[in-house]
Amino acid sequence: MTIRHGLLALLTQGPRYGYQLRAEFEASTGATWPLNIGQVYTTLSRMERDGLVAPGEQDEQGRMVYAITEKGRAELDRWFATPVAQADRPRDELVIKLAMAITAPGVDVARVVQAQRSATMRTLQELTRAKRGAGAAQRLVLDSMIFQAEAEQRWLAHCEAVLAASPKEGM
Amino acid sequence: MTTRDPDPDPGTAAAPVARLVEVTRLHGDGAGAVHALKGVSLDVAAGELVAVMGPSGSGKSTLLNLAGGLDRPSSGHIQVEGVELGGLSAAGLAALRRRNVGYVFQDLNLIPSLTAAENVMLPRELDGVRTARAREEARAVLGEVGAGDLADRFPDEMSGGQRQRVAIARALVGERRLLLADEPTGAVDTLVGDEILRLLRAKADAGAAVLVVTHEPRYAAWADRVVFLKDGEIVDSAAAGLVSAR
Ligand SMILES: Nc1ncnc2c1ncn2[C@@H]1O[C@H](COP(=O)(O)OP(=O)(O)OP(=O)(O)O)[C@@H](O)[C@H]1O
Ligand SMILES: [Mg+2]
Repeated sequence: MTIRHGLLALLTQGPRYGYQLRAEFEASTGATWPLNIGQVYTTLSRMERDGLVAPGEQDEQGRMVYAITEKGRAELDRWFATPVAQADRPRDELVIKLAMAITAPGVDVARVVQAQRSATMRTLQELTRAKRGAGAAQRLVLDSMIFQAEAEQRWLAHCEAVLAASPKEGM
Repeated sequence: MTTRDPDPDPGTAAAPVARLVEVTRLHGDGAGAVHALKGVSLDVAAGELVAVMGPSGSGKSTLLNLAGGLDRPSSGHIQVEGVELGGLSAAGLAALRRRNVGYVFQDLNLIPSLTAAENVMLPRELDGVRTARAREEARAVLGEVGAGDLADRFPDEMSGGQRQRVAIARALVGERRLLLADEPTGAVDTLVGDEILRLLRAKADAGAAVLVVTHEPRYAAWADRVVFLKDGEIVDSAAAGLVSAR
């Protein structure tokens, strides 16, 4: 439901065209969540159906400007007031890969762990670099991704220590 | 996430500021000997920030102490600004350290009977800089690390994070070309920690060679290169800008 609420939030600054909403959405999420224009229009027409936005005038090229309705504002307030539940994350490929690496014979688990640590570290380096020039909203988005990558790094370092203390069969 | 690489042309042939070649360090001897480092080679160039990560006891502090000439290797070569440290007398080594190397120690090492400003001035006065000028420099660099208001406080009158900033100021004073920092973010929260790394990053961008030891991935991520140490050996390294974010 988040694209819908993100668009509603942008519309509180005034009526917008679809292409404007797309650009502003990406700007405020630091382009970490790219939207295609089709998603934007689909979402807008569903929200129109639900009475959350209302179409305004068309420009010469037939593009429609949208405004948030009273019902849309109420929905947005409700969203901001509701904490996000710890969603059921899709099964994490990395966790499965490590579990399998330990179970399967002949796999160098330490190497699997180290390869992942280096790769995640590169991601972390990129995110940190991007943060240097970022504005406040982008920075918070990048920080969130940094904390997640960091958690993975810590977990991998922990795996490494556990494996060093008790190789394979100990797990 | 397409930021340009700020590094100057990597093809330039300038010697690295710090160079370690096949360095080993053995503590003690016989059955109780500890191989703290086993053949480590590492270059840190001007303008480069390199982070060293690794489990406790993997040899990180040993590596840093050797790179700064505070300890001598059992075998291998270490050069700072092209000078072979093994060829220097104790006095020559001390002079090179004072002139070229700034340290932030794991335990900070501030002198309790000196104020923050006096702690920062000390290495400069040992360098022969006049007291008035050393005091001016100390005030300036304390300001730079956000500790300008702490100049007249003694270490036991400061919080852990404040002491950390003063220790960093002491390492930065005098425009040293090689900066070595051992867990410089020890006692601080992530906002202050990021600020400390931003400072070291700025020093690297201004031309210093910086080597930082840290347990924290978020701080290592400020580096151009992250070196993973394990049981005294470099097992891998991650360089920024080679692979795009997932
Ligand atoms: N003076 C010494 N005498 C004997 N052994 C030593 C000495 N200094 C260090 N060691 C040993 O050398 C190894 C590497 O130590 P070092 O201090 O470099 O580790 P480290 O990676 O910095 O660890 P930490 O993360 O805990 O600071 C350890 O096994 C340590 O016990
Ligand atoms: Mg150490």
